[in-house]
Amino acid sequence: MPTPVLHTQGVCKSFGDHVALAPLDAEVHGGRIVGLLGPNGAGKTTLLRMVTGITKPDRGELRMWGVPHHRDLLTRMGYLPEERGLYKSMRVAEQVLYFATLRGMARSDAERELKGWFERLEVEGWWNREVADLSKGMAQKIQFIATVLHRPELLILDEPFSGLDPINAGLVRNEMLRLVKEHGTTLLLSTHDMGSVEALCDEVILLHKGQKVLSGNTDAVREDARQGRIRVAVRGNLMAFVAELGARAELLSKSTRDDASPIPIHDLELALPDGWGMPEFLAWAVQHVEVLEAVPLRLSMEEVFVQTVESATP
Amino acid sequence: MTHPKSTLEIWASVVRREYVTRVRRRAFLVATLLGPLLMVGLVAGLVLLTQSTEEPTKVWVADHVGLLTSPAEDGQFIPTCPTCYPERNMLTYRFGRDVKSREELEAEGFSCMVELDDGILQSEKAQLLHLAPPSGRAKRWMERDFSQAIERVKVRETSDLDYEAYLALKTDVTLVGLDMATGERKGAERGALGFAFSIFMLMFVLIYGMHVMRGVIEEKSNRIVEVVLSTVRPSTLLAGKIAGIGLVGLTQILAWAVLNWILFSALGLVVEQSAWMESWTATQGMTAGTADFATVLAAQDKLAFLLDIHWGVMLGCGAVYFVLGYVMYGAFFATIGAMVEQESDAQYLLLPVMLPLMFSYFLASLSIESPESTLAIVSSFVPFSSPISMMVRLPMGVPWWHVALSMALLAVTAALMVGLAARVYRVAILMYGKRPSFKEILRWTLRPDSGAL
Repeated sequence: MPTPVLHTQGVCKSFGDHVALAPLDAEVHGGRIVGLLGPNGAGKTTLLRMVTGITKPDRGELRMWGVPHHRDLLTRMGYLPEERGLYKSMRVAEQVLYFATLRGMARSDAERELKGWFERLEVEGWWNREVADLSKGMAQKIQFIATVLHRPELLILDEPFSGLDPINAGLVRNEMLRLVKEHGTTLLLSTHDMGSVEALCDEVILLHKGQKVLSGNTDAVREDARQGRIRVAVRGNLMAFVAELGARAELLSKSTRDDASPIPIHDLELALPDGWGMPEFLAWAVQHVEVLEAVPLRLSMEEVFVQTVESATP
Repeated sequence: MTHPKSTLEIWASVVRREYVTRVRRRAFLVATLLGPLLMVGLVAGLVLLTQSTEEPTKVWVADHVGLLTSPAEDGQFIPTCPTCYPERNMLTYRFGRDVKSREELEAEGFSCMVELDDGILQSEKAQLLHLAPPSGRAKRWMERDFSQAIERVKVRETSDLDYEAYLALKTDVTLVGLDMATGERKGAERGALGFAFSIFMLMFVLIYGMHVMRGVIEEKSNRIVEVVLSTVRPSTLLAGKIAGIGLVGLTQILAWAVLNWILFSALGLVVEQSAWMESWTATQGMTAGTADFATVLAAQDKLAFLLDIHWGVMLGCGAVYFVLGYVMYGAFFATIGAMVEQESDAQYLLLPVMLPLMFSYFLASLSIESPESTLAIVSSFVPFSSPISMMVRLPMGVPWWHVALSMALLAVTAALMVGLAARVYRVAILMYGKRPSFKEILRWTLRPDSGAL
C-alpha cells in the first residue's frame, strides 16, 4: 500500500467547550478524488483548516505524505475555501500572481502558467481588469485558477461549484478531472452536492458531529448502505406469498399495479437478511409466485447521506 | 516548480502588496501632493476670512469729567493724547462728555461706547457698552490705547517728568530662557512648534491606524483571509500589513517634508526677489542685496527660533516615534478590525483606542506652557502618550537619555502589544456571525490556543 497523502490518527480539535472534531482516523490516498461529506457543523471545515495549516490539532497526529505535517508542505497544496473572495483593489492577474508567489512560485513561471489557465477557463482579456468588475461566476473561476496555478499535489476544494452556472461548472469539473488524470493530483472535495459526489468521487468520508460515521469507496458505500434491499415485481397471490415469506425477509413496502390484468402484478421492496442474497431469494421465490423483475435497490449518495446521518443521530 | 518560502520572504511579499496597492491609489497621490498646498491654502484662507469678516469698530468715548479729552474750537472734544489713539482701519474713536442712548449710537454708526470717570484711575476698570461685541483684537487695542492715555494722565499728575522722559525710563524686562547644559534658547514658541508636530503625530497614527483596521476588515468581509492564511501565518500577515501600511505613512511624511522644504524655499526666493525685501533692507539700515530670507526670519522675534531648531533631529525622532507609536496603536486597530465584519460595527470598540490618544493630545497641550513639568516628563515616558507628548518637548531640547529611554519603553510595549494582538487576531479573524465577548478576548490573550501550524 503506498503512503497516504493525508493520514490522521486520533486528531481532535475543540473551541472552548465545543468539540469540533472528536478523535478522527482517516486516510486519503494519492491520485484519488475523495469526497468529504457531512451536515453543517460536522467538522469538515475544522479538518480542512488543520490540513491547510490554518489551525493545529489539539491532540493526535496529522501526517502528510508520510511525514508529520509542517509548514513547508503547504506549498504542495491548493485550498479553495467555501468562504472565499478577492482583493477588490487589485487587478485580476496581479492578484493570482501574488498568491502564486506566496506559495513559492517564481513569477516568470507563474505568468506563463497563468496564460494557459486564462485560455482554458475562457477568461482571456481579464488579465488587467479590476476585480470589482468581475461577475460572481467569473470571480469563482479566478479563485479556482489561484488555487491550482502552482500545481498543487493535493487540491482541497470546498463547494467548488457554488455560484457557477452549469456551463462554467462543467468547465471547472473537466479541469479538475484533467489535473487528476494528467498530473496525478489528489482531490479532497467538500460539498453538499451529492450529484457531483456520485459523478466525481472515488471515495467518501462522511463526518457527523465531529466523528467519522462512514468511509470507503463510493460504490461500495452505496452498496453497503443498501442493506440487502431489493425491488421485485411478482404476479400471483400476494397474501399467500407474504405468508410464505414470513420472517425470511422484511417487507418494506408493497403496491399493486392497476393495469386490469386478470392476475394482478405487485411491486415489493424487501430487505434480505445477511447470507440470503439475490440468487437464493430468487430460487426460493419462483416456487411461490411468478417473478417478473428483481433489482438490487441501489441508493443514491443523498439517500446514503440521510440514512447514515439519521441513524447516527440518537 | 515551487519552493517553500521563508517567513521573511512571505512577510516581504505581504508588505509589498500592502504598500503598492495603497501608494498607487489616486487618493494617496492627491493627498500627498496637495496636502501641503492645501494646508498652506487653508491657513491663508482662514486668515483672509477672519480679516474680511471683521467689522470695523467705531467707539464713542463718554468722558464725563474730561479726564482724557479737552474741548476743541469747533465744539468737539479731542483727546489730550492724540498719539495714544493711532490711526487704524478697523478701529476709530469719537470723544464727548455725554452718554449717548442706544438709538443715538445706532443712528451715528457707533458699535460701542466706553464710559470714563475718575474712578478709573484707582480701579483701572471702565465699562464697555456695546451694540455688537467688538472682536478680541479690537478690544485688546482699545485696552492698550486707554491704558496708555491713563498712564499719561497719571504721569502728569503725580510727577515732574514729562511723558517722553517717563517712557524713556519705563522698562519691560524679557527673560530669555537658556538651557545650562545645551546653551539653547527655550520658549513657548518652541512649545507651539512641538505641539504642531504632536498634532501631526496624532493625525498620522490615527489615519494609518484606521488604514490597518480597514485593511483587516476588508480581508475578513471579502472572505479572502482564509485563502491567505492557508499560506501565511496570521502573525506574519498582521506584521506585514502593519509594516506595509506604516511604510505608506512614512512615504507620505517624507513627501510632505520634501514638499514643505520646496515650498518654504520657494517662499524665501519670492520674498528675496520682492520689492518688499528692498524696503525692508533699507529700513534695517543694510546695504541692498546683502540680506536673504534667513536674515528676515532672524529679525522676527517670534520666528527667529525656527533657524535654531535641529530639523534633522526633529524629523528623525518624529519618524521613529511615528513608527513605534503607529505599530503599537496599529496592533490595537488590527485587533478591532479582526473582531468585526464591517466598519460600522467597529465604532464602539474604537473607544478604548481613541481615549489614550485623545488624553495624550490633552497632556501635550498642557506641556506647551510647562515643558519641564513632572506631568510633561512623565507623559513623555509612558508609552501610550510618549509619541505625542515627547514631540512637544523635543524642540526645547531634551536630555538624550530621556529620548532613548522613552523610545526603548515604547518599543518594548509596541512589541508586546503586537504579540498580544496577534493572539486575538488569529482567532477572531476566522469568526463570522458572532462578535467575541470580552471574556473570550481575555482568554485568547492569557491562554492562547494552539494557533496556526
